[in-house]
Amino acid sequence: MYVILVYDMGQKRVGKMLKLCRRYLNWIQNSVFEGELTEVQLKELLYEARRIMNEEEDSLILFKNRDQKWLDKQIVGVERQSTDDFL
Amino acid sequence: MKQTKYLMNPGRLSRQDNTLKFTPVDEEGNEGQPRFLPVEQVSDLYIFGSLDANSALYNFLGKEGIAVHFFDYYEHYTGSFMPREYLLAGKMQVEQTKHYVSTKKRMVIAQAFVEGAACNILRVLKYYDNRSADRRKANCLPESIATIEQLLASVPTAPDVPTLMGIEGNIRQTYYSCFDAILGETFCMDGRSKRPPQNELNAMISLGNMLCYTACLSMIYHTQLNPTISFLHEPGARRYSLALDMAEIFKPILVDRLIFRMVNKRQLQPSDFRMEVGGCLMKEGARKRFLQEFDASLKETIKHRSLGRSVSYKHLIKLECYKLQKHLLGIDAYKPFKAWW
Repeated sequence: MYVILVYDMGQKRVGKMLKLCRRYLNWIQNSVFEGELTEVQLKELLYEARRIMNEEEDSLILFKNRDQKWLDKQIVGVERQSTDDFL
Repeated sequence: MKQTKYLMNPGRLSRQDNTLKFTPVDEEGNEGQPRFLPVEQVSDLYIFGSLDANSALYNFLGKEGIAVHFFDYYEHYTGSFMPREYLLAGKMQVEQTKHYVSTKKRMVIAQAFVEGAACNILRVLKYYDNRSADRRKANCLPESIATIEQLLASVPTAPDVPTLMGIEGNIRQTYYSCFDAILGETFCMDGRSKRPPQNELNAMISLGNMLCYTACLSMIYHTQLNPTISFLHEPGARRYSLALDMAEIFKPILVDRLIFRMVNKRQLQPSDFRMEVGGCLMKEGARKRFLQEFDASLKETIKHRSLGRSVSYKHLIKLECYKLQKHLLGIDAYKPFKAWW
């Protein structure tokens, strides 16, 4: 499935969250990631994320899509980082 | 599905926070904005630019099971970093060797590879024969198709592997002689030349074949097969010859059709190439486009007949490895993949 992940963390935990997400998804903007994940990978990611988060204060939002082709992505202004496979 | 990443620009790849970080470096040594590659999404890396890396990175890649394939300045495949085998199966290895040692058993598999390759070649030629029927009157395609069909008929009676390789060579030669008829005037074939390729078309074929070969190698790595023991090609030292065998079957569908498509749609022009001493090279931008198209065609899916679901061409290569495994273990006779569309 194709996932867009955004989070809002307390300052102490935000770095950890960033590092975790980088392992699974492409960074596109501060606190925003996107990429293709399998069911298991998503479970792994959420399990790890829960251990980092303070669920009383922090939030993590997932937008799930069955396939990237159903997602119409529009960028206004600067593209902070592309998700291209050719670099 | 995990993705192949292509590193076209010079830079430094390093391990950071248990994931991969690529920092582009320009000629003056200035570092650009680093890009993090999600390690969980990477299946293998193709390196075309010059890359700085240290052993910590390779240890990490090895642990994650990510193969790295290297290509030199002239786009030749130079080698791979293969992680430790993780799917070890002694029984498989023994069976594979047994099938190589026994001439009779080896011939069965080698014949299947040639048969598969020839059938796929015919499929490509017939498609273009159909299309050109009304466009151009004088055409050599039907003749060549007949020749290849004749050669294909002689495959089951071939007495040994060198003869089989000879037949295979003749099929390819006839096939390559058709390229001019399919492609029109922009590029001409003028015989197959490699190491280095002498003209534009040969440069495309060389690059495409290389990519097909490495794709096969990457897929073989994810099965229990040993990539060094081959059946059609003679297993040599320091090369993964089973990937060459596999590539035979997929080259016509993956590489040649891609070349025809890109040339006929004018995505590649003579100005995309430059002649160097003794050879012809594809320019940077054209190479990137070629790679992108190749990657896209690997991801393209088809409805598989016996599985009844859609599979990508990349997965099709893996299924081919599974079929070979079944044959080696005596579960099911190996029938080569033949395109049916």
